[in-house]
Order: sequence, then C-alpha cells, then structure tokens
Amino acid sequence: MRQLSPLRAAMLPAPLIAALLLAPLPAFAGDTLTIPAFADDSATSGITSRYEGDWEYMVGGGVATFDCNADGFADLLFAGGSAPATFYRNASTTGGPLAFVPQVAGLELDAVTGAYPLDIDSDGIMDLVLLRVGENVVMRGLGDCRFARANKDWGFDGGDAWSAAFAATWEGGAGWPTLAIGNYIDRQEEAFPWGSCTPNWLHRPGPTGGRFAAPLPLLPSFCALSLLFTDWNRSGTPSLRVSNDREYYKGGQEQMWRIMPGAEPQRYTAEDGWQNLRIWGMGIASYDLNADSYPEYFLTSMADNKLQTLKAPDGSAPAYADVAFPKGVTAHRPYTGGEVVPSTAWHAQFGDVNNDARADLYVVKGNVARMPDFAQRDPNNLLVQRADGTFQETGDVAGVASMLVGRGGAMADFNLDGLVDLVAVNRWEPAQIWRNVTPGAGGWVQMRLDQPGVNRDAIGGWLELRSGDAVQRREITSGGGHASGQAGWWHFGLGAATGAEARVIWPDGVADDWQPVDANAFYVLERGQPARLWQP
Amino acid sequence: MILLSRLCAAFLLALCVWSPGVARAAAPEKVLHDWYRLILELVRHTPTYSPPVASRSFAYLGVTAHEAVAGGSDDLLSLAGQLNGLTTLPERQQGAAYDEAVVLNAALTQAVEAYFGNTGPTGQRAMAAMGTRLRDRVTEGVAPDVVARSIAQGEAVAAHVLAWSADDGGAVIENMGFPQTYTPGAAPESWVPTNATVRQQQAPLLPDWGNNRTFAMPDGKTCPLPPPPAYSEDPASDFYREAMEVVEAKANLTPEHIHIARSWSDDPMLSTTPPGHWVSIARQVLERDNAPFDRQVEVHALLGVGLADSFIGCWDAKFRYDLLRPVTYIRRVIDPAWEPLLITPPFPEYPSGHSTQSGAADVILTALFGDDFAFEDNTMAPDGLAPRQFPSFHAAAEEAGISRLYGGIHFRAAIEQGLAQGRCIGAHTIALTTRR
Repeated sequence: MRQLSPLRAAMLPAPLIAALLLAPLPAFAGDTLTIPAFADDSATSGITSRYEGDWEYMVGGGVATFDCNADGFADLLFAGGSAPATFYRNASTTGGPLAFVPQVAGLELDAVTGAYPLDIDSDGIMDLVLLRVGENVVMRGLGDCRFARANKDWGFDGGDAWSAAFAATWEGGAGWPTLAIGNYIDRQEEAFPWGSCTPNWLHRPGPTGGRFAAPLPLLPSFCALSLLFTDWNRSGTPSLRVSNDREYYKGGQEQMWRIMPGAEPQRYTAEDGWQNLRIWGMGIASYDLNADSYPEYFLTSMADNKLQTLKAPDGSAPAYADVAFPKGVTAHRPYTGGEVVPSTAWHAQFGDVNNDARADLYVVKGNVARMPDFAQRDPNNLLVQRADGTFQETGDVAGVASMLVGRGGAMADFNLDGLVDLVAVNRWEPAQIWRNVTPGAGGWVQMRLDQPGVNRDAIGGWLELRSGDAVQRREITSGGGHASGQAGWWHFGLGAATGAEARVIWPDGVADDWQPVDANAFYVLERGQPARLWQP
Repeated sequence: MILLSRLCAAFLLALCVWSPGVARAAAPEKVLHDWYRLILELVRHTPTYSPPVASRSFAYLGVTAHEAVAGGSDDLLSLAGQLNGLTTLPERQQGAAYDEAVVLNAALTQAVEAYFGNTGPTGQRAMAAMGTRLRDRVTEGVAPDVVARSIAQGEAVAAHVLAWSADDGGAVIENMGFPQTYTPGAAPESWVPTNATVRQQQAPLLPDWGNNRTFAMPDGKTCPLPPPPAYSEDPASDFYREAMEVVEAKANLTPEHIHIARSWSDDPMLSTTPPGHWVSIARQVLERDNAPFDRQVEVHALLGVGLADSFIGCWDAKFRYDLLRPVTYIRRVIDPAWEPLLITPPFPEYPSGHSTQSGAADVILTALFGDDFAFEDNTMAPDGLAPRQFPSFHAAAEEAGISRLYGGIHFRAAIEQGLAQGRCIGAHTIALTTRR
C-alpha cells in the first residue's frame, strides 16, 4: 500500500480540451456494439409498489437498493408517496428470474418520497435515510432486514419540509457522516408557490459522538431535486453538487458548495469559474467517461438533458462544457415516434449493461402530471456507449422503453448473474423491473468495499479497474439520481478480458496496491487485505 | 392629446358607482391585482410561453378584462369593430343589476384557465386556488341573483374573446414553438442556430408568427423597416463596424451596463418575458397611483394589443431578413472564442424583439400616462436585481433596447430600427378609441 497525494493521484497527461471532450473511451473490448436485451419480469417479480399521491408527490418516487440480510442479493425499498413505503426482500436465485417478497421491515412509513441506504453508525449493518413530505427519518438497521426509527437516538432533526434529494459524506475522516438533504417548495404556498424554495439542510456530526448536530441551512436554496457529494477536482475533499428545479426558484441556478471540515459551507461562484446554468434539474449521475480521472455529470431536466465534462484539464476550476449533443445523450424527446414534444427526465444512472467495459446511461422518464406540452408517453432511455464515446439509444430494442410515468430507478445485478438489471418507479402505476438477458455480453467483475472503523463502505473513495493501459474508474458515492440511493456491489464490464487489476483509493487518499481479479467473479476488497473472492 | 384628456375624465368618473344599487364585497381592483399577479407567474412557468406567445395572451386577457368592464360602463367604449375580427360582445340585460367585481372575476377566471390550460400541475393548482379564493371574496354579501347574472356575463365575454382568438394563427403551439425541421438559409448572413448544446433549438422559434392576425394594425407588414446594413466581412464595412461595437461593448462592460442587461434580459421560463416586463411596469404604476379599475383594464387592453402586434410585426421582419446573430458573426470573423453576456435567443436577429415591443410600449404608456412620467421598476427584484428608476417610458424603452447591445445579442441597427418599428406599431394601438 502506498500513500498518494489526492491531487497527484488525479493527475494525468493534459490533452487538448477538444480531445478531452470527445475522446473515445479506453475499451477492454473491441468496437462492436452489443445491443442489450431485457426480459420484463415486472408482472412475476412480486413487486407491486406504486408511487401514489397528488401535487405534493409530483417529484420524488425513489427506490433504495441495498442488501440487508447479508446474502449478497440486493433488496429494495420503494417510496410509496401518500401510500406506505414497501420493502421487498430479494428472493431471486443466481441467474434466475427476478423474484421479490414483500416483507414488513419497519420501513412502512407514509409520505416517503425517496430513500438512500447508508451505514450511518458504521456497525456493518445498512441503515436508511427516508426522505419525506413532512419529517425525514433515519432508520437504524437491526439486521435481517429489520429497521427502527433512530431520529432521537442519533439526534437527527427530521424537520418538516418537502424533501426529495440526499447525499452523504464523511468529512475529513470524521467518525459520523454528514448528510445533505435537498428540500423543495414550501408546500403551504397554494396560489404563489414560485420563489418559495425552502432551505436545504446539512446535518453534520454533533460535538459528541454518534449524533448529528442541528441542521445547518444551506442558503440560498433553489428547490433541489438531486444532491451529490463528489470530488470533482480530485482534491481529496468532495464538494456538494446541487441540481435545482428552475420552475420554482427566482434568482437561482445550479449550485456547488465547498464543504471543508469544520468550516462554513461556501458556494462556488463565477469568480471560482462556476458557470450560471438554469435547468429543470431533477437528477445527477456521475462517471468518469473519458478516463481523465475526473467525473462527468449527467443532469436530467425537461427537454434537453446535460452532460458536463470539466473544461480545465488540471481540475483548476469548476467550469464545465456541455457535451450532451455531440455525445448523443440530449434525450430531449421520445425516440419511439408518435409524440414530437419534449421529454421529462428524472432518475439517471451510469452502468455497463452489455459488459463491454463502457459505461451506459439509463434514464427514467415521465410527465410531471398531464402536462400537455411534454410527452405523455415518454419512454425511458437506455443509451449504450459506442467505442467512440458517443451513445446509441437502445431502450426500445432492449425492451425497456416503458411509457409509464417514471420517476426513480436503479441499475443493479439483482440475480447476481453478472448482468446489470433495471428498475423504474412509476407514479400511479406499479414499479417495473427488467432482467438483463443480453446475448453475447462480455465478462464482468463486481466488488464491494470494506474498511474497518467508520465509513465501512468507503463513501468518498474511488474504485479502479485496469486492463493494460485502460482504466475504468468509479467514485464511491452516496447520493444523486432522483430520490434513489444504492449500496452494495460495484459492477464493471470487462469485455473480452479474462481478468483485470483492481485497486481502491480509500476516502483518506490511501491507495491499495493493484490486485488481480478474474472475470465473472465477485470480490470483497477489504482495506489492506488481498481481494477476497465471494460466491453467492 | 385627446386620449389623455379622455383618461383624465375617466379618473373622475371612476369615483362613481358603476352598477346602480349594488354594493361590492370586494373591489374589482383587487380582482385585477390578484389575477395579474398570477398571470405574470403563469407566463414564467408555462412551457409554451415564449415572448410572442406571452404577448398574445396579454392582449386577449387585457381585451377580456376591458370588454367585461366596458359592457357595464357609461364611459368605456368596446373595442369590438375596432380590433381585427372582434365582433360585438354579449350585452348585459338592460336595467338588471351586476356586480363589477363578480363580472370581472368570472371573465378573468375563465380566460386565465383557457390561456394557461397547458400549464403544469402547480399552475393548475394555483389557478384553482385563486379562482376559489376570489370567487368567495367577491360574492360575499352580493345577492345570489346578481352573482349568477354577473358570473354569466363575465363568462360570456370571456367565451366570446376566446372564440375570437381561436383562429388568429397563434392558438396552437407545438414543441414549445420550435419546428421539428428547419433548413437554414444558405447566404452568409443567414441565421444559424446559436446554441450548439440544445437540440431543441436547432430550428428558430415560431417562424410563422409574423403571419398571425394582428389586433390594431392591418397585418404584420404594416410597419416595415429598412434592411440592416449589408453583410460584409470587410473591416471597413458598416456591418463589421456594428459587430465591433458589440465586441467592444462586451469588453468595456461596467457594473451599470451589466445591471441594465440583466434587468432587461427577460429570458422565457426564467422571467415574465419582455412583454410581461412591460405589463409588470404597468401594474406597478397603476398600483402605485391607486388607479381605478376602468383605467386599469383600459391600460391592460391597449398595452396588450400593442405588445402583441409588436411581436407579429417584428417576427414578420425577422424572417424576412433572416439575419445572423452577433455571436455567429463575431466568432466567424473576429474572435472564435467570443461569448455574449446574455443567452442568445434562438431566432433571427433583425430587428430586436425587445426593442420593437419596448418602442410600442413607450408610445402606448406615454399616451396613457403622459410624457416625463417617472417611475421605478421592481420587476426583477424577486430575482435579486436592484430596481431601476426612469424619468419616462421613453427612457425605459431606450434602455431596454440598448440592453441587448450590452448583452451581446443584437447589433445597433436592430435596436434602433426595432424601437422605430415598435413606435409605428404603437401608433396604431393608440388610435383605438377606448372612451366614449
């Protein structure tokens, strides 16, 4: 193991900016595009959850993906809106149809808009943060998929707001996490809700261990619908990106906060290089698409979506170029024909659905609520990355072009067959789940991180996979998407490679040595230990 | 000025009771205040409401309010027969009592719900809340038969105006006004898309808007303007000099220039839009001076008509001349890395739409309120911008025009000729007779 300075770890040769924007990705595999295929297991999966409710539930509708019974299979908690949230234990078998069983878990609260798994107390048992219309609630994992409310025990002030965004980090190696919660409109404002954005909150550790301090308002706030702690410049300290819904703010824009341990949060400004961008921000997905070590950010919106790539090759300023158009991911209107009006995008997530070692993009779409100027039948997107770094729409041919009113979603390998499956949460309609059955998919490897002490899942670290000169890289985050959080296996496609090398750069900047991993296998990467093979 | 003297007389008449024997539970001024406050929000938050579309609705809403009131007024004159295609509106029952606030509220409730029927769930919720709240307020203490009659009258007026508006060419907006396909002109001066990152804006906004039926002027070609300077890349040419003026303006922006540019930026979906900005100014002036409701509806009708005609005339010219934007020319000829201060609107440059409609607003509001009418504009205060003070509507219009040069989105000719075109269009509006 050797110590890397965070900045040094981030440094790569500085190519020309134009080349950076459009450079093909390093590929483990060849140039052939494998079209993904999915089987719709929704009707037989056992999942019947709907995201219900009227105006106060027009946003949100998330799903949490996590393993709470230590069997390696990802379980699911669906936000129910005005209906109770529903927990489903994953009863799938390896490679089999996706099967879930509803189970009372203590999570059956109403008014839940979104859910994020996080091991808050670092006891190795997954906890949950439930975002709600009303009081937010932290739920302590008790093991075997049982949970208990922990607001009082952990000093968590759930407040009373319309919350729909979340992100978490451990500031400077603190023993307790910092939670950021994004809040939306003042729901008491009936005739004039515009301009009534309520403050986002930063729940930092309290002065005594094991508890949160009173929430710190992040002002100004502009109706956040997605938050993400991300080390955008590889400084070693993540900043907080905030994607805001321009429908409701006045004088607002997209935001990023500098969150330094022990210091007041500071907004990045134009003087720092931050650029004024005003969108109907609803979801953030991140991935280092061009292998320059810095994350790209996909921001969902209405009509055109954004794909941002850092302009400065040395990460010196938070200025981004929007490359969604040349990359082919504007996803601005339905691609299935019929309607020519714009789309409405919510959850977004990167993952490799055909295991060709290139990250693909899944976007959940759905009308806000009968808005006639936007698509009523708005298919979800599955944008598969080509060898040249551009993306090709495959949602229809892959069988996942749902026309239901989508909101949250998830990409995860629910039956542990090495292929990433898809979930969509729908407003007023049952959630959907698709089993990945892509023929001719490449190899894969899935890894889970474990470090002793606090922050067991290494939130804020980086996981890298190397094959020859090509490196795939994922930032380990908790947050983003649309009201939908995930924890568990981190999946990489390997293409034709029979193996690769993996390493973790832990949240404190310490990098493990590269370790060999075989294709088509699961590994637990424990800090300072050899990669441990895991089998379902 | 004849119009002004008529309006002065109207101030006195407004002190009188409008409908004999009926006590009002709430003033019609309150109805106008609340609905226009909501209308300005709906313009900002309804996806199809680009500036031309907004101007159209301001016209029809203003005419609706005016006609609802004029039907019971001894002084206000209907615009039927004066505005293109507007036929005689439903008349009130002779000798029957009406409540002006109820009539006006019913008319605006129906009109707002119609013109903003495509707004989102929050707008729908707000409209419903406003309708319920105001209905309860204005009908309180009013005899049921008067309420029923007044609501019926207001709704009949709104329905008449709505039917009139249905075939003007602007009633249906698809894809937020952007055609699915568009072939740019091949000439070097032709407009080309300026926002390379937005797929939806690779075609210009509402290319046929100039063919819409006008309100007070014969058609969109009524106020022509001379062609812009001939396109040239010669540094000695007028065209190049105009482009250099934009470059130098950006390079020498002062905080005051930036404040001006941002104060008049009026981006759709992020503001009340340029026509909404002038309606906002009118609202501020009317409320500052506690103007009676007949005066208010008159102002809204005339201003709305003038703004709507401005966008039709301006769009006719824009697609006639099809001129490229400064950012296109400057990057092509002068500085490939040049960036304007403001977002360049996705349609041809000449003339400046903000200038045209501001020129019209200047003429109309000056006719209504007089020369040298000083006021403060707080329109952008909710967005964090300090108010601006003006000695006159003329000065405000001039500033609105030059703001587009500071913003880097227009050449000077588009501003100067736009203002002139707008003043020509505004003259047609103030030729309307609104008082007996």
